Amino acid sequence: MRQADYDGSHEQAGGAMRQVEGGDAAPKGEERVLAHFSISSEPGNERLAMQQVTDAVQELALPQRTIKRLGTAVAEATMNAIEHGNQNRAELPVEIQVLASEGRLTVQIVDQGGHRPIPDVTTPDLEAKLAELDRPRGWGLFLIKNLVDEMEVGGDELHHVLRLSLHLEGAASDGQ
Amino acid sequence: MTGNSFEASTRLRDGVAVLDFVGDIDARAEGSLTGAYAEASQSRPSTILMNFERVNYMNSTGIALIVGVLARARKEGRTIAVCELSDHFREIFEITRLVDYMGVYENEASAIASAGH
Repeated sequence: MRQADYDGSHEQAGGAMRQVEGGDAAPKGEERVLAHFSISSEPGNERLAMQQVTDAVQELALPQRTIKRLGTAVAEATMNAIEHGNQNRAELPVEIQVLASEGRLTVQIVDQGGHRPIPDVTTPDLEAKLAELDRPRGWGLFLIKNLVDEMEVGGDELHHVLRLSLHLEGAASDGQ
Repeated sequence: MTGNSFEASTRLRDGVAVLDFVGDIDARAEGSLTGAYAEASQSRPSTILMNFERVNYMNSTGIALIVGVLARARKEGRTIAVCELSDHFREIFEITRLVDYMGVYENEASAIASAGH
């Protein structure tokens, strides 16, 4: 993936987030790009990403429950990208695309830490954590995986690419 | 970086120590949250109730903070309960299985009533 171009006229939050102008927003297959932006790798910016993504999916009229799940998963994935992928180096962007196709919504999160592999998702051992035999942290990937329908990890030697997908069939009728 | 805040205050109600959380439970909440737990523990309550009514956001670091509080309470022989969880937070508590280790109540009154029995 090439480095995105930025448009300063859309700069928000003191430079923390920028809309990607045009750029590599060409949809894959039937996917439509609802949003494409990047954030700087500073702790807390995951909230900007969450807000931008939830704003972008408003037009899909998803149930509140689905939006909340997606928002938390995106925030969590972006936090990982900032902390673990980009090592909190503010100058490194986390690039986020929101893609919709019939029956599917995907959020793609790309960081610059591809040389550090993302670990496999494991189920945290809560009993061990409560017995203080394991550290209390380590919930991020597990939480993401359980909040979306699909979590796909990819990338190359330079980038992590995390794709979080929701199946939209039936989502509008889950009554929440 | 977004501005966010978290505050935790403590009070006693019918022998139950209530922790009122306001704001976002993430890494920046650690000092306030653990401090509030320590303060609540001073009265040696058998039950500590966390009120989530005014919690806006919680991430995996926030979950870890709750796990830490639960671990500490367990070691001290106290019961932890939680009330006023939104549907979303309740789902997170279910996914993480925290619900298996603490009482989950609709509201503060029902939690207090349960603690009294």
